[in-house]
Amino acid sequence: MKNPVGSRILQADNIAGLVIVACSAWLLTETRDMPPMSALLPVAMLCAMALMGVILIARTILNPQTASAGPVFVAPRRFLLVVFVIAAYAFGVATLGFYTSTTIMVPAVAFCFGYRKPLGLAIATIIFVGGIALIFMVLMNQELPPEFFAS
Amino acid sequence: MYGNLVDALPSVLGWANMAAVVVGVLAGICVGALPGLSATMAISVLIPFTFGLDPLVALGMMAGIYNGAMYGGAIPAVLLRIPGTPAAVATSFDGYPMAQSGRGGYALQVAVVSSAIGGIVSAIVLMLLAPPLAKVTLLFGPAEIFWVAVFGLSSIVFLLGGDPLKGLISAAFGVTVSLIGSDTITGYDRLTFGHLELLDGINIVVLLVGLYALPPAMDLLEDPSFDGTGKRFTLGTGSIWKALPSMLRFWKTWVRSSFIGVLVGILPGAGGSMAAFLSYNEARRASKNPDDWGKGEPEGVAAAETANNADTASAMIPALTLGIPGTSVAAVMLGGLLIHGLQPGPLLFRDNPDLVFGFMWQFLFAAILLVFLGGSLATNSFAQVLRIPRPLLGAIIIALVFIGVYSINGRMFDVYLTLGFGLVGYFMDKLRFPLPPVVLGLILGSFAEENLRLALRIGRGDPSALWQNTTSQVIIAITFAVVVGPIILRLVRSKKAGKVV
Repeated sequence: MKNPVGSRILQADNIAGLVIVACSAWLLTETRDMPPMSALLPVAMLCAMALMGVILIARTILNPQTASAGPVFVAPRRFLLVVFVIAAYAFGVATLGFYTSTTIMVPAVAFCFGYRKPLGLAIATIIFVGGIALIFMVLMNQELPPEFFAS
Repeated sequence: MYGNLVDALPSVLGWANMAAVVVGVLAGICVGALPGLSATMAISVLIPFTFGLDPLVALGMMAGIYNGAMYGGAIPAVLLRIPGTPAAVATSFDGYPMAQSGRGGYALQVAVVSSAIGGIVSAIVLMLLAPPLAKVTLLFGPAEIFWVAVFGLSSIVFLLGGDPLKGLISAAFGVTVSLIGSDTITGYDRLTFGHLELLDGINIVVLLVGLYALPPAMDLLEDPSFDGTGKRFTLGTGSIWKALPSMLRFWKTWVRSSFIGVLVGILPGAGGSMAAFLSYNEARRASKNPDDWGKGEPEGVAAAETANNADTASAMIPALTLGIPGTSVAAVMLGGLLIHGLQPGPLLFRDNPDLVFGFMWQFLFAAILLVFLGGSLATNSFAQVLRIPRPLLGAIIIALVFIGVYSINGRMFDVYLTLGFGLVGYFMDKLRFPLPPVVLGLILGSFAEENLRLALRIGRGDPSALWQNTTSQVIIAITFAVVVGPIILRLVRSKKAGKVV
């Protein structure tokens, strides 16, 4: 995202500004039916955000030195993998249950991203999942998403 | 009045009461260190178990948990940039860079000593000034509270440094998020998109964990530099007693932050987060090296931790004397008092002096115990978390995020929201949008709106009601100085630089 072709338009700050303006405009449409008293602050904030988004874009185009320095992604493929892992874990927790998903996720993710010591992974997973179970099930009596085999 | 204070001491020194305070502090530190588990939650869980206990023992445990949790929140804030409690956000600004540079142990020691000092000052203020200080709150009507909120937001945007435009966008985003949910006055559902889960608004922990916990976890996994050998960080831990003399240079920050924390604690609805932010900003403003802040300046940790602990006992001042809880923890504590047949309010001091003053002593002892219990725990146990290999740590943080968020309301919807905020936080971080204004916007947004509307109603719709009062005018003037001051300073500096060239 960091201006790969030297274009002023494709600066990350410009894209951020566009997203801000688009989201603010979309949310403003949601305030149309609100009573005036309820709409006062949301409309004020969303208009301010849209305006500041426009200023951000204009500033970046007119004065590119003010744009964010440094690349947005360190390693784009790894970033996509991280997002996929988190989404898959969320799906797993909702369908398989917390303890099952975590017992799979912790060693699998650590292995995929570079820590490849089976004994260390096994010990860490047992301590972590066991510790969480002790705190949340025994001490705090706090329920976590139920396991697929228990429901 | 003070005779009752002395009379209450012997009963507090009983072994059962002291044991309750010790257990409470330890439990509070552990709870505070777990992201998503707040002092409010721990005390709420504890209250049913205190039915059979002596009221003073139960209150001692609550005081211990409150103090312990406020410090405990600093542990993951320093080590992982995950604020264990909302009030620990400001601690992470400098604590986390310190941990990254191998001074995590020292950062925790500064945090625990500062927390203890803030807690001790707060307890002493609670003991000595409870009734007269409660009267100060009578000066603050809705208009003044609205301006205090505006001041808080302005100070974070303009004093944090960096890009004010991005700071303002962040603050506006935070305020907008705070407005999601059912309007308390008109009952209209704002920006809920038909989701019943959003009717009560967005819980601050959902936003905090998303913005502050997920991006570092993603960075840990995304960074390809990990070589698979389990490279270790340097903790830089040593004896807390040896480190203590080097911390004495923070005395001015301790005094200033204690003062801010106590005052913010007395104001209903403000809370430890606001105290920590204001204190951090003031300490940075007063610093000789403000440019080093945010890069690992221990004074930043001292400022934030002193203030968020100085808020603890003082938040009980309006709660005990007027029956108005200043924070959610104070509200839960009031519930605990009611369960034990104690009616908060002025009569509490007359009818149950032994309990109410005993409770104040327990706050003091809990704050002192923090140095002994928190110091050893922090340096010898929790700090070891940095030795975990990065990919493993990343996976564990993701799991902790899920637990912390799910346990708030027991629903996956909050987890999905957190993941969304996590992505927003990731990009904001990369594009240099400051995150603190978002958090403060969420804390102060609906609070400011509520008081603005109340002030306008009281003034029968006349906006001048917002600035007619002297207290309001003083706060407006301070806010104006905070906004304009840095701009003038910048202009003066650029003029000077121009002359030198």
